[in-house]
Amino acid sequence: MGNTKKNDRRDFLSKFGTAFIAGAALSPLISNASELLETENNVTEIKNFKGSFEDLLGGDYTNIKLRMQDDVRRALKKPMKDRKWAMAIDLRKCVGCNACTVACIAENALPPGVVYRPVIKEEIGTYPNVSKINLPKPCMQCDEPPCVDVCPVEATWKREDGIVVIDYEACIGCRYCMTACPYEHRMFDFGEKYSDGLPLVANYDKRPSFEYGKEWDREDRHSSPIGNVRKCTFCAHRLDEGLLPQCLTTCIGGANYFGDLNDEDSVIAKLVSRLNVFRLKEEMGTEPNVYYIR
Amino acid sequence: MKNKIKNNESRRSFIKKSALLGVAATGSLTGFSAIASMTEEEKRKFMYELQKPENIIYSACLQCHNSCSIKGKVFDGKLGKIDGNPYSPQNMLPHLDYKSDIEFASDVDGKVCPKGQAGVQTLYDPYRVRKVLKRAGARGSNKWETVDFHQAIDELVNGGNLFGEGNVKGLKDIIVLRDPKVAKEMAADAKAFGKGKMTLEAFKAKHANNLDKLIDPNHPDLGPLNNKFVMMCGRIEHGRKEIGKRFAHGTMGSNNFFEHTTICEQSHHIAYKEVSNQWVVKDGKGKWTGGKTHLKPDILNSEFVIFFGTGAFEANFGKTSMAQKVTDGLVDRNLKLAVIDPRMSQTAAKAHWWVPIKPGTDAAFAWGMIRWIIENERFDKTALTNSNYAAAHETGETTISDATLLVKIENGKPTTFLRANEIGLGSSTDFVTMVDGKPTKLDIHGKKAIHGDLLTNTTIKGIEVKSSFQLVVDEAMSKTLGQWAGISGIKVNQITEIAKEFTSHGKKSAIDMYRGAVQHTNGYYNGVAIIYLNMLIGNTDWLGGMQVGGGHWHEDGSKHGIYNFKKANHPNKLTAFGPPITREKSRYEDYSLFRENGYPAKRNWYPHSGNIYQEILASGEDKYPYGIDFLFLHKGTPLLSAPGGNVAIDYVSDPKKLPIFIASDIVIGETSMFADYIIPDTTYMERWGTPHTTPDVAQKASKVRQPIVPSITEMVDINGEKMPINLEAAYIAIADKLGLSGFGENALDNGLPLTRPEDWYLKHVANIATEGKAKEATDEEMKIFESARRHFPKEYVNMDRFRKAVGGDESLFRKVVYILNRGGMFEDYAKSFAKAPYAEHQLKGFLKFFPENVAKTKNSITGVNYNGIGAYEVIKQMDGTPTGFETVKDDELIMSTFKEVFGGQSRTISNYWTQLSLDPENVLYINKVDADKRGLKNNDWVTLHSDSNPEGIVDLKNGTKIQVKSRVRVIQGVRPGVVTMSWHFGHWAYGSTDVVIDGETIKGDARRKDSACPNPIMAIDKSLNMCLTDPIGASASYFNTKVRIKRA
Repeated sequence: MGNTKKNDRRDFLSKFGTAFIAGAALSPLISNASELLETENNVTEIKNFKGSFEDLLGGDYTNIKLRMQDDVRRALKKPMKDRKWAMAIDLRKCVGCNACTVACIAENALPPGVVYRPVIKEEIGTYPNVSKINLPKPCMQCDEPPCVDVCPVEATWKREDGIVVIDYEACIGCRYCMTACPYEHRMFDFGEKYSDGLPLVANYDKRPSFEYGKEWDREDRHSSPIGNVRKCTFCAHRLDEGLLPQCLTTCIGGANYFGDLNDEDSVIAKLVSRLNVFRLKEEMGTEPNVYYIR
Repeated sequence: MKNKIKNNESRRSFIKKSALLGVAATGSLTGFSAIASMTEEEKRKFMYELQKPENIIYSACLQCHNSCSIKGKVFDGKLGKIDGNPYSPQNMLPHLDYKSDIEFASDVDGKVCPKGQAGVQTLYDPYRVRKVLKRAGARGSNKWETVDFHQAIDELVNGGNLFGEGNVKGLKDIIVLRDPKVAKEMAADAKAFGKGKMTLEAFKAKHANNLDKLIDPNHPDLGPLNNKFVMMCGRIEHGRKEIGKRFAHGTMGSNNFFEHTTICEQSHHIAYKEVSNQWVVKDGKGKWTGGKTHLKPDILNSEFVIFFGTGAFEANFGKTSMAQKVTDGLVDRNLKLAVIDPRMSQTAAKAHWWVPIKPGTDAAFAWGMIRWIIENERFDKTALTNSNYAAAHETGETTISDATLLVKIENGKPTTFLRANEIGLGSSTDFVTMVDGKPTKLDIHGKKAIHGDLLTNTTIKGIEVKSSFQLVVDEAMSKTLGQWAGISGIKVNQITEIAKEFTSHGKKSAIDMYRGAVQHTNGYYNGVAIIYLNMLIGNTDWLGGMQVGGGHWHEDGSKHGIYNFKKANHPNKLTAFGPPITREKSRYEDYSLFRENGYPAKRNWYPHSGNIYQEILASGEDKYPYGIDFLFLHKGTPLLSAPGGNVAIDYVSDPKKLPIFIASDIVIGETSMFADYIIPDTTYMERWGTPHTTPDVAQKASKVRQPIVPSITEMVDINGEKMPINLEAAYIAIADKLGLSGFGENALDNGLPLTRPEDWYLKHVANIATEGKAKEATDEEMKIFESARRHFPKEYVNMDRFRKAVGGDESLFRKVVYILNRGGMFEDYAKSFAKAPYAEHQLKGFLKFFPENVAKTKNSITGVNYNGIGAYEVIKQMDGTPTGFETVKDDELIMSTFKEVFGGQSRTISNYWTQLSLDPENVLYINKVDADKRGLKNNDWVTLHSDSNPEGIVDLKNGTKIQVKSRVRVIQGVRPGVVTMSWHFGHWAYGSTDVVIDGETIKGDARRKDSACPNPIMAIDKSLNMCLTDPIGASASYFNTKVRIKRA
């Protein structure tokens, strides 16, 4: 950089001083500030930034989503009992946009009143010291799920890979499980449609849900999952095909991480071993598989 | 992709291998009744239907103007799901390399925001209009009949007693100047007449045979009667914009084609443009030309970013690409943020500084920072003393500024740059700078590096001059830090801390601004003052500083394309002339009206701005400079979306004032409900487009919007081509009926037709393919392309017709398919770092503290010159009278607005997934202090009132009056004295009310009506019957209204 220091600091100030509007006072000068920009045009090194948790990216991966997709596919090659799906949500990166909420509704064709992935938002503090907290809340897929034991017909259980599932065809809709869930996650499908009362049934209300790898039509108001309790499955129907959950893929803040906790090389396994990780209602002993980072 | 080999395994081969290993995912679910009952065939079907490449069509969103790249997943012939396109830098960070296999990409979903996810509900909204509607009662009566498309076109063209209310003019009576040669000659002479270079007599003598084709033969410079055909577009974007201009200007010969930009953020664009336009010398004459209208911080590499009246997570241009750059930065790179916004936004919640500034005082805050930076010498002196490009090159900069250039001062005001010839130093195209106190001629492109003096305040040969930087210093020093802070209603330390932080990262600090800073009457000045801050640290083109973004390949074919639509391909095009009805891009002083009337003009003229949405209807009603005979509204709802837009209901509801009004809309909207005809339009998921990308994206990106599913509008046959009724079909049919150029057979050069939309859009994709050197799609990719479109009727999507639209060349067609199979063409991620520490794509331009062009312009009402620098001004009417906004009485509150991330102004109310699932009604946010003062609690209902709308009422003139009322939500995160409200609610049409079509009542959905839109109570510039408006940048004021709230 061929810097031409035509006006050194003293020169500049003396000129500058004379240029002042009469009566305007100089505020205290901060020493050695002027060197700052003159010497640091290039400042720190620019690196080819690859996104979040670069340290976890590893190898030739260009994107942590691709790495996590491979984590999932690697896990799928093992017997189901050897996998343990878990999710981590970095609250520092959640921007409260609800893209996950809507992506989940759209993917699972959820009816009004059923939301698998709410984001709890809260304002904290007193003006002007205010902030906001956003807390996405999927099913925790607990290792000790209180919702499972209360089911009188054994229509809900924990899959070998840790996902808590509901057999819609066995569920009698008694809703005990809803009361039992300490995270208030489970919801009842009353068979409503978003386009109820409109001039025609909208196509988006006709698209089946693909949960559990089956087509669940909503054309008939009496067949499952209408009249059943519903819940998040980490998008098991996608997962089983080697695809990441939709809340993760659409997150505009890049706040979600997912994978097999039993795989010590997975992104998720490395993440949950970090210091700033916690789980909701740890004291209940439910052993959730959703971890939060703050 | 440089990924490991396993990454390249397609989903299908992956499943196959799993199956071989005996661990097929679904197979291990034994005992699970739903799964166990599946046959092998069924199981295969669910691997996974929505993710198969043959069920995927990439396209572009339009729930907001960011036009994100989307992946449309088709199920059973319907759009089943929308996700992000992983090939696009807007929708995945980092995105897939462009050459990645489409089977691989089909498994990878990019990101889209909640609005984008909910697009399916816009597409399949039960209130979509499918056939042409003609009003069957008074305007706004909500009574309609369906009519045949061709009948409607015939009526519009020929006019007649269409509504039983007497004869109505047809387009044939309005589009009267039809001879391209005559139009061209008249245009040139009218311009000469306007400027006083040709007499009226001479003009009349020369054009005696065509005077009847003029709006006013005594004012030929107002242009032909064709100008009374006005196209007003709301959310229109590239592709449709260009074909629209082709239609309005070249086919119809009208100079009136408008977008909605001034109700969005136009003054910010104009500020950038005026600061960055370039001094170009040609044939011994210099002029300011070009200029970038938009720069964004390179957040990915920034260390400190200030968001001025905007943020990175909720709206802006745009959140989907910006959000993760910020969140990753916060967590991984210690990125710091400051947010200047009266409301605690989601971005402010993550910022290190939240500055709840008093609305309308953005420039004061910026000037406080400027003062501190100057006083503490924390600006980049080296960069600022680079007087020409040679000097910049020497010091490693890509841009120069006018900091050292001399400006003439008359009566204490800066007027123009001093030119070298004025002091006998050189030519009139050279500037002057002082070098060590000596006046020196300056050719900015000169070979010798010149480093001028920053501060000059002297007289040369009797001419009083100051350097541009001196002007900035003078303004900064005109008030103390305490005074600047006082105006902004914040503490001095907020200015000093942020100024210090801003100047503590070298080039890696940057300031973003958007709506919040500029949708004020002082918006242009605010914008310029904020740009000064970026200029002070010389951060443009540096990674981590301000960037111009990657831009795009030229789909218009203007550079290395095969079909040049910019300069050719419109034989017999008409030359449109005369000022646009909004008087944009036009100098009052260049027209005969000025010579006759002088100052004040009836309404302002805007030489610096364009697309002045709020002026269109107000000027039409005022008949200044002429009236509107035929209004064609497309995808816009000015009555709802412009501040105080409802004042125009009087005008649009009265056929005596506005003879013909047609709308192209997907629903019966707040404004289209007053139309005479509604021509149904295709949604963005059913049609074509070539949208551009925010400069936030550092990589070059040419997106392509393409039909994902067949349109649900009626199919129509126009001269043997079958297509869905939409905007393009209307253009083709109208041009055909009128026998005009630009559409139909032989519409393009070499006898090529434009008889269906693909003839236009696929040629644009071909241009991208040629300029961007696209690869050819393989046979396998060609098969997938065709298979992915198997749900379209043959006449809608036909490979042979597509091939013909591209031009018939198989190789080129395959390149086009390669692009369509990826939703566009995108530069690879790593490319943006190739020139570190500089951005790959650079401005390399001349940035000015003193935008001379603006200083030379007079407000046409006051006759007073605008300020050459971005000074702080109070909120004023167009005639310069202060509105008194700054003094707030006890019972008043300042109304601010914002947009919830899931709400997109006027067009997302049909998206129940977001509206009902996230927040079913709009609320007025109020600080607890203000709520307590008024005894208000959460969920109390209040009505809103202002001086402009004391009753707080919208009168639809059809017997319905709507009270603007809302529930309150008491929060801490808003500046006391300010209330704020998102605006995407408060509909009075769009399916919210009953309408009668062909005698049958279609019940409205009350869920769409709930709660308020704040626009109807916003401040009106009384003498103009239009919202308060920035006279320079023409932004509509959304933040300069004081309201009173009453418990309802």
